[in-house]
Amino acid sequence: MTSPGTKWWQAGLVVRLGLRNLAASRAKTLIIGGIILLGAALVVVGSSLLESVDRGMRSSIQGSLGGHLQVYDARSKDELALYGGMMGEPQLEPIEDFSKVKAALVNVPNVAKVVPMGIDQAMVSIGNQFDVALERLRADVRVRPAGGADPAIERRYQARKAHLRRMVGILRDDLAQARQIADLQGRDAAERRRAWEDLGRASSPEFWDHFDDDPLAGLEFLENRVAPQALDGGFTFVRYVGTDLDAFFRAFDRVQVVEGTRVPPGQRGILLGKWYAEEWLKLRAAHKLDQIERARRVQRRRLDRDEELARWARDAAGQTREIQLQLDPIAAEDAASRLARALGVTGPGERDLPKLLAQLFAVNEANFDRHYRIFYDTLAPLLQLYSIRVGDTITIQAPNKTGYMSSVNVKVYGFIQFRGLEQSGLAGVMSLMDLISFRALYGYPTAERTREIRELQAAAGVRDVSREEAEAALFGSADGAVSEQREAPIDDAQVLAGVRRPREREELSDRPFTQEETDRGVVLNAAILLKDPSKLARTARDVDAAAKAAGLNLEVVDWQKASGLIGQSVTLFRIVLYTAVLIVFLVALVIINNAMVMATLQRVKEIGTMRAIGAQRRFVLAMLLVESVTAGVVFGAIGAAVGACAVWLLRRAGGIPATNDQLYFFFSGPALLPRLGTTSLAVSLAIVVVVGVLSGLYPALLAMRVTPVEAMAAEE
Amino acid sequence: MAIVSVEDVTRVYTLGKSEVHALRGVSLEVQEGEFLSVAGPSGSGKTTLLNLIGCVDTPTTGRVVVGGDDTTRLSERALTELRLHRIGFIFQTFNLVPVLTVFQNVEFPLLLQGGHGSKERRARVNALLEATGLSEHARHRPSELSGGQRQRVAVARALVTRPALVLADEPTANLDSQTGANIIDLMREMNRRDGTTFVFSTHDAKVMAHANAIVRIADGRVVGREELSQAAGGVS
Repeated sequence: MTSPGTKWWQAGLVVRLGLRNLAASRAKTLIIGGIILLGAALVVVGSSLLESVDRGMRSSIQGSLGGHLQVYDARSKDELALYGGMMGEPQLEPIEDFSKVKAALVNVPNVAKVVPMGIDQAMVSIGNQFDVALERLRADVRVRPAGGADPAIERRYQARKAHLRRMVGILRDDLAQARQIADLQGRDAAERRRAWEDLGRASSPEFWDHFDDDPLAGLEFLENRVAPQALDGGFTFVRYVGTDLDAFFRAFDRVQVVEGTRVPPGQRGILLGKWYAEEWLKLRAAHKLDQIERARRVQRRRLDRDEELARWARDAAGQTREIQLQLDPIAAEDAASRLARALGVTGPGERDLPKLLAQLFAVNEANFDRHYRIFYDTLAPLLQLYSIRVGDTITIQAPNKTGYMSSVNVKVYGFIQFRGLEQSGLAGVMSLMDLISFRALYGYPTAERTREIRELQAAAGVRDVSREEAEAALFGSADGAVSEQREAPIDDAQVLAGVRRPREREELSDRPFTQEETDRGVVLNAAILLKDPSKLARTARDVDAAAKAAGLNLEVVDWQKASGLIGQSVTLFRIVLYTAVLIVFLVALVIINNAMVMATLQRVKEIGTMRAIGAQRRFVLAMLLVESVTAGVVFGAIGAAVGACAVWLLRRAGGIPATNDQLYFFFSGPALLPRLGTTSLAVSLAIVVVVGVLSGLYPALLAMRVTPVEAMAAEE
Repeated sequence: MAIVSVEDVTRVYTLGKSEVHALRGVSLEVQEGEFLSVAGPSGSGKTTLLNLIGCVDTPTTGRVVVGGDDTTRLSERALTELRLHRIGFIFQTFNLVPVLTVFQNVEFPLLLQGGHGSKERRARVNALLEATGLSEHARHRPSELSGGQRQRVAVARALVTRPALVLADEPTANLDSQTGANIIDLMREMNRRDGTTFVFSTHDAKVMAHANAIVRIADGRVVGREELSQAAGGVS
């Protein structure tokens, strides 16, 4: 009875009926279609965003630090985490001789470059105003001929002396308050009493009256007995990767020097992260202003409606003492007159720098842009905005492998950033240092280095962080000092000449080293860059095999795993997105199912009639499935198109702005520009079809059970 | 020769905890070419009897033999095939497929059967539309037709497969008496022309009068069968 043609005719009939039924029950079709459409659009947009974030992350990690593969010692206690782990830096076993790793891996097919690395954190001394002022005065003492022949130099000397005397006074006032709560009976009570007496002596008129008799002895006393009591300044942490700097720059094309120069080959030196400098080395008031500016520009937040911004503004206003301390009396005078002009202040207030600063930092939504400009145009040129500058030699200290503190002096050659990741803390906090210095800090020194360290230690105790320009200033109540010092001219060139004295330590850190020295020694991990990144998994196996063959016990991980928690966050995003999609489609499934069941119940008689006049169950099943699948595919395709349009529009509108550091890294730039992925399209259509079939299945099964008797039921 | 043979059939429906005895032992033979009316009040079991004859339902006990096949022994699939190829249905509520045109509704059983070329299908459908006076409405949807027109479409649909037996359950119940009479006349004409056997149920005496035999049912039992003269059922 069933000829081969039967199925063909029936298939045509089934499709025709299905389509007609869809068209006939428009409301139902539109509800179901709308849900499917939304779902498909969501999948397309969501997975496009995810793919874009994935791509951004890949680009961020590979281009800044990760490369394609990373190797580290397999015996390590922790896993490699390039951007830090939950509990600080991971504990890695050192690879004692990088040259062996390089030799073994560089010949693996598809390996382009092997870059040695050692990532760690250390303390950096950023000095304090007291030290700066002392150094200035010492320079003046040195150039001041006995008897004070040159009146200009003499005036400046006297001005700086007065400045320092005022600072001692402020310090004494500060510590007097601290003494109220200090335990003067404790173990170090005697030492504390002595310190207090020293401070008393340093602020006494007799001390300063007789200062000129033996200025060097006076300075010695201030440096040894008074300066250590000053509380401001101190240390900050720096996160760095010790590496073969030339190889690093060749391998990671995203890194660029924004200020200064690269470290010359064979020289020791550090390139500080620009972001790190902004965040930790910048004058705090300026940094707060920057934060507000960025929040207003990028996140469209408003000072008048945002409590956090208002708090930042108050913080900035509270940090103006730092600015005042930095300005010497003459610069302060200059700053006051410039500010008064810019702010339009006339009359008695125009010389009152604290008041002018207070006015400048009293920012609100209306005046912020103007005041921000005034700060950078008028005031900033007089200030040292960053506590470390290009050309400074900084002292880095870290606990080494043996538990002692290692300390090295390295010259700051410049500031770096990773292109596209300028605002990202994760990448931007990283500084680059030569491997020789890294090893010295890490505590696996070469024999030669051991000798150098001994020399360094011998030289320790002399702080020589240079401060060429910053001059401590004294304001507010010290009217006499200001009027006395106003006219004193400052010859910067002469000051600099005085500071630049030959130093034994600089010589040491200037001694060049060879490529061999760089290669033969301790590293913690190494980045591997591939010629063809698409063969990553295979190359990882090859690298593993090559390492084993060379007798190296190395763990080989891909960039994502090497990045630690950061890399896993993409996986987390993916789980979140897919869970959301799953929930949306489960809800859609229930709603569609419900609508279809209702529709089926309304059609019981029609279905019963078909069954009565000879339609088989599978015909009914097929008819209803065609309906739901067609609805799924058609509306799914429209939804995917809508999603694609949304992605396109989002891209045209400039993408999703990265409103914080983390997003900056994930987006690999200031905004996420989503790109439509073929995967997302395919996935969305597949999901939609599956949902269509699943949601239509139950009602179709229900319809299949409708008996032909239903057709006979009398009621319409 | 009997096209349908109902042998001592009972049919019990279970409605919740109670049992409804729709048929309590019915025996009946329908001869080929008959125009038979099943008469009785509502709830007497007319529809149940027709369902059993039409193979949309199976008896609780007893046998229903249609065209020589014992329906109690056939699978659901085979019963469907049997209905498709040998039986036509006309319903009280017309039961057309709302999304199909008149032509497509009539064509529908042929498509289910398969194996008919489009030319043949068109010829058959058009012939029936002509015979039922619906040629002008071929492209209309059921919703655009009157009740009488819809039932004509149903008649055409029932006949398009050239079944041996057409079952009509209260075909005139939803029509006014004149239209109902017209439908019965149409059925009678088809019965005469092609010799198709018709079994229809009704409780309308005027409609019964057109039949050549009336089987009376009450309380699930056949209470009598009267043969009517051909002339009495003739179309005037």
